[in-house]
Amino acid sequence: MRTTSVDLHTLTGAYAVNALSDTERTAFETHLARCESCATEVAELAATATRLGAAVDFPPPPHLRARVLAAAAETRQLSPHTPRLPRTRGWGRAGGLLAAACLVAVAFVAVQGTQSDRDQLAQLSSQYSRFSDLLSTPDARLVSASGPNGSTATAVVSVSRNELLFVSKDMPAPPADHVYQLWLIDADGPHSAGLLAPPSAPLVATGLSNARKVAITVEPQGGSQVPTGDALMEIALA
Amino acid sequence: MPNRERSLSSADVGHPAGPTADDLLPLVARGDEHAFERLYDVVSGSVFGLIRRVLRDQAQSEEVFQEVMLEVWRTATRFDPGRGSANTWIMTLTHRRAVDRVRSAQAASHREEHAARLDPARPFDEVSEQVSGRFEQRQVRRCLSFLTDLQRESVLLAYYQGYSYPEVASLLGLPLGTVKTRMRDGLIRLRDCMGVTG
Repeated sequence: MRTTSVDLHTLTGAYAVNALSDTERTAFETHLARCESCATEVAELAATATRLGAAVDFPPPPHLRARVLAAAAETRQLSPHTPRLPRTRGWGRAGGLLAAACLVAVAFVAVQGTQSDRDQLAQLSSQYSRFSDLLSTPDARLVSASGPNGSTATAVVSVSRNELLFVSKDMPAPPADHVYQLWLIDADGPHSAGLLAPPSAPLVATGLSNARKVAITVEPQGGSQVPTGDALMEIALA
Repeated sequence: MPNRERSLSSADVGHPAGPTADDLLPLVARGDEHAFERLYDVVSGSVFGLIRRVLRDQAQSEEVFQEVMLEVWRTATRFDPGRGSANTWIMTLTHRRAVDRVRSAQAASHREEHAARLDPARPFDEVSEQVSGRFEQRQVRRCLSFLTDLQRESVLLAYYQGYSYPEVASLLGLPLGTVKTRMRDGLIRLRDCMGVTG
């Protein structure tokens, strides 16, 4: 676990120059959310890369100016992020979901076990609120399955939020230079939902569309575009 | 913080005395079209230059440039000054869009051929040619010269060519882990040389 964290930390440079695959970028951003020192380093290295960009500046053709300004005048801006409104919690159907919440909490503690810094804990709780939001969604459903060597996996699915939270327990470490990758499988086939790095880290996948199941495969470091290995574990969502 | 602001305004190419991207982007976020016009004048050279450097093709560069500028307008509301400068936010977005285009399926067929022809020393040579008078450019050039060859090639192949680190590793014949650390070490050395504070 310590090794994984160090590995991820060395990705700050590749991340700053945008040299990661989509899946690896997602995994790294999950890590960033709870690693204050990584976030600081990424900010500095991105600012450094910006200097490289500014060094090759070249004026665009003049006629594009009016075109861009006219297009902006006709384009609605995104609404700003706002603080979350208070929610009503679905205490009534809590049994399985509370168990899932505990599982997530355990996973977090396991992930964070090597770090005891207070800042990390603050980061952790803000990340955790995302999971508790999902768990308290009225249509959240719990599905689970067991995998190799007594490992288990649980997914909380919310169709209304179009999100799925996946967390596994007691998964063996993947082979060297390999990583577990989660896939959402619909009628068109598998779509990557991200990397499980470390294996016990909870993962939130968005864009469920019509996914019928999720599966885990072992893939080379960095993940794959399409699964190259057999599914170690599958959970039916429907 | 005062340091950061100073370094930001010096990174604002072209208009060192006028309003900076950091002054203008919060106004743009409130729907101020006039501020967007001024922001365009401040950043369009850097944005277009970087896209053109990565894509090389003029027509595609113009297309991506317009998309990026419009996205700056559209998403200015999501800019968080606590996480970095407006320039960095805009250039990070720019680089990502340029690289997305490079990696898209249409471009895929040209890439292997291009990679095969590529002389790894070229990016630095081209930067050396292009960086001429301005202080910022001379500084970039000077600082690049303090990197080891592998650090410099790893950083520049990724940034200016839009290659992923496995692609850079294959071009340079190096293990993946080595490329990752060379990119990070190279950028850290550049950061320290340029006095960038985030």
